[in-house]
Amino acid sequence: MSKIVNFKIDGKDVSAQKGETILQVARANEIYIPTMCYISKTTPCASCRMCVVEAEGVDGLVLSCNTPPTEGIEIKTNSVKLEQERTNIMKLYDVNHPLECGVCDKSGECDLQNKTLEFDISQQNFSAKDQVRKIENWGMINYDPALCIMCEKCTHVCNEVIGDDAIDVKYGGYSSTIIPKNAETLECTFCGECIAVCPVGALISSDFQYTSNAWELSCVPSICAHCSAGCSLEYETKYSGDRSSLSKSIYRVKNNFEFTSLCGAGRFGFDFANSAKSDINAFSEALNALKNAKAIRFSSIITNEEAHILQLLKEKLGVKLFNEDARLYGEFMSAYSSVSGKLHHSGSLDAIKQADGIIILGSRVATDNPGVRYAMTTASTHNGAKIVYAHPIEDVLMKNVVTQFIKYEAGVEEGVVALLANTLLTNIDLSESERKYFDELDLGYLEAESNVGADELATITKTFTRTQRRVLIIGSDVFAHANAANIAKLVAMIEKYTDFSIVVIPENVNSAGVSLICDLDVDDRSDAVGYNAEGTFTIGSLEGADLAVPALNQQEGTVVSIDNRVLPLNVALAFEGYTLNDLANALGVVKENTVDYTQELNSASGFKAVAFDDLENYVDKYGNDVRGYLLDEIFCEADGSLDEVSDLPEFNGVVIYHSNPVLQFNSYTNSVKQLEKDTTLRGSTQFSAAAKVSDGDNVEIIFGKQTLRRVFKLDKELKGTIALNPTFDISVDASKYKFLKSKIVRVI
Amino acid sequence: MMEQFNNRNISDNGYFLVDIVDYPTTGWGKFKRAIDRTFKLELFVGLWVVLREMIKFDIHTISYPEEKMPIGPRYRAVHEMKRLWESDTERCIGCGLCEKICISDCIRMDTRIDEESRKEVSEYTINLGRCIFCGYCAEVCPELAITHGGEYENASDQREHFVDYEAMLTPMDVMKQNAQKEFEGFGAITPHEDERVKKTPLAY
Repeated sequence: MSKIVNFKIDGKDVSAQKGETILQVARANEIYIPTMCYISKTTPCASCRMCVVEAEGVDGLVLSCNTPPTEGIEIKTNSVKLEQERTNIMKLYDVNHPLECGVCDKSGECDLQNKTLEFDISQQNFSAKDQVRKIENWGMINYDPALCIMCEKCTHVCNEVIGDDAIDVKYGGYSSTIIPKNAETLECTFCGECIAVCPVGALISSDFQYTSNAWELSCVPSICAHCSAGCSLEYETKYSGDRSSLSKSIYRVKNNFEFTSLCGAGRFGFDFANSAKSDINAFSEALNALKNAKAIRFSSIITNEEAHILQLLKEKLGVKLFNEDARLYGEFMSAYSSVSGKLHHSGSLDAIKQADGIIILGSRVATDNPGVRYAMTTASTHNGAKIVYAHPIEDVLMKNVVTQFIKYEAGVEEGVVALLANTLLTNIDLSESERKYFDELDLGYLEAESNVGADELATITKTFTRTQRRVLIIGSDVFAHANAANIAKLVAMIEKYTDFSIVVIPENVNSAGVSLICDLDVDDRSDAVGYNAEGTFTIGSLEGADLAVPALNQQEGTVVSIDNRVLPLNVALAFEGYTLNDLANALGVVKENTVDYTQELNSASGFKAVAFDDLENYVDKYGNDVRGYLLDEIFCEADGSLDEVSDLPEFNGVVIYHSNPVLQFNSYTNSVKQLEKDTTLRGSTQFSAAAKVSDGDNVEIIFGKQTLRRVFKLDKELKGTIALNPTFDISVDASKYKFLKSKIVRVI
Repeated sequence: MMEQFNNRNISDNGYFLVDIVDYPTTGWGKFKRAIDRTFKLELFVGLWVVLREMIKFDIHTISYPEEKMPIGPRYRAVHEMKRLWESDTERCIGCGLCEKICISDCIRMDTRIDEESRKEVSEYTINLGRCIFCGYCAEVCPELAITHGGEYENASDQREHFVDYEAMLTPMDVMKQNAQKEFEGFGAITPHEDERVKKTPLAY
């Protein structure tokens, strides 16, 4: 049977791929069919019935959003009957819809208003008894059921794309509403995607509500600066307070919800701009500090251009560059390259979305990188993907999508990857030495020590035989593992000999970019000038820095995302002060603007010679991502060989794991107004018994040389003997493995 | 009807041309005019008119500021903010249309959500130094909340007085006397609006 279906819409010859619906084909061919509830990234809600079309030879009307075409059929999208049907639907939508468009936050961006005007609904012949509907306050989200038109877009994205499955429709005909699922109030990760997709003003950010009309806001397209997923977003800014003061602030963040998603950190954590003023004394002090510095320590929450300037400063001043997080990522990737023969990992978020078999290990992904989580949820709900989630701690947020949870012991990632590689490469032709390597693996030892049973591996083999598009996702836990290099090589083996594509999750927004641009040195914790990091003299965009520089929403530049895509950041808010480029100019590395370096970024790492101003930043109307550019594929010599799996370490006693709560990533998300800042040490009942602490206790955590005070919170949803310690509010040595043996003392 | 305006034959309508002597151009002509004005006592002709009217006590001027002329309802002077008849609260709903339409960019408002989940206007200023009194804000206002009043005496010892929202609001004592003036000018509801409105059917 042919996979292409040829048919006609309004007399125009069109063709559909297998699985495509009439509406999708119509949209791809620029034929307009009105819809109210359709959203491209979910399965059709089919609640509005606006998309009805006439099909020749079919009695009654056909819903174009969920009907695939048949060969040769003729579709009519416009007729008197259809017009009447749609007009009546619009009238029904308008029954008792409050006439408060003047104050509604949609302020003209309303689908209901647009369609009401489009169908010229000037009078109403339907009526229903109006009812009292209470406005609900769900924390960061407000819900006004009177405005809700029950299109069900919100429940669909929540369930299918985000995976929280936190809201549900309470069916009751005219009195239907959206309610929190199985709960009194909304308990979710507050991604705010329901706000984004709401076509009317029913679901609204409670912080934004009634503060501004849409037309007053100017829109700055940019990239989220909190994690490495590189989600596109739009900062919406307006003059705040007195207009003569000319100070703008960000009022809200929007995203192209039709095709892309955004987590709550991006959507609600936007006010991290640096408001410090220009200070000439600090500038000269910074110059002196840099001139006398032996090293510069910096974070990966910077742009490629800044990283490039730091690299040039290194060459000019002969300083060392410290950035443990990017260095470890870079070392992991170069070990990977030494076997795979190419510089960049092959997978992407799109590959995850389209996959039907996913293995993830080494990441508590729902909090580490929500973008990856949403892609996995999409794969699970749309492709029925088999998802194997291997981690020492089970994550309740992932329970809806994970088909197989493999609990391994902390510290044994090398063994797990070796077992996994052995399983996946069982019937594959390997070179003699490689086959010998796997034959010589002491499977019994590895399985016993890592706690991954042979039956679990057999299940993987079984479930993955039928999958066609497979992805292996490696999280940031493994970068600081003692044998990270060997893990990377084993991962590369899997990619080389199977059809798995690999996605490696960089820890921070631009860890990947920094590792590709800078020649980093091992941080010996010696004195260094800090650039967005701790040091003897700190240059940074957070409060308290000795010299203030702009935050990521105040400067132009590019970052490299998890997709190996170079994405442009734009200036949402002005910054009055000095930038790294000013310092570099004073030190003899001269360029007028920071973004003049964009076209000069390291081409050996795959950067293209494209000027910043030539970079696009949007997702087009067909859903194609045309933001920035993809790094060139760089091939290198595959001269690496696998190392013997060393003895697996044991983590006995009290173990904590560095993992942030939802929507928290770093000091920037810690500085914003709306996001919750839960700094408690969270542990299970089992942990509390083992560590002899109970809920609400003040505890002192001692790990390595660091001592930390936290409040212990008993989390009933957690299991196991490892507690979660947030790192967004403290500075952590990124070179240390995330699981730590520690001592916990109760203090009064 | 239009014909009388289209008819430009002025002589038929009782109009006549005034015979005005041309201004002198030569030196002699100017000298003659000066002599004429000096010795024909034209000055006293004017003085006599004033004296005659003064004696008659039929004076047409008004003694401002004790007396003031009434101002037409469509006159556009300093803005007024109306209150609701039912509750005496401000009529402004904070829709922001006046701010948007203002062509001299002199209106500025801030809104927020109040305790009852309603939109509340937290700041409202009109910079009367920039305002050109075009009336667009009053025309666009969907609630007839902002109107132009008849207050044209814009002098104060405090700049702030020109932008004071409280001063623009109808005073409460006026509300208590039911004396708030409804605006009947530009944008106001026409007298027979009720007859034209199609009501929502209430079948239940």
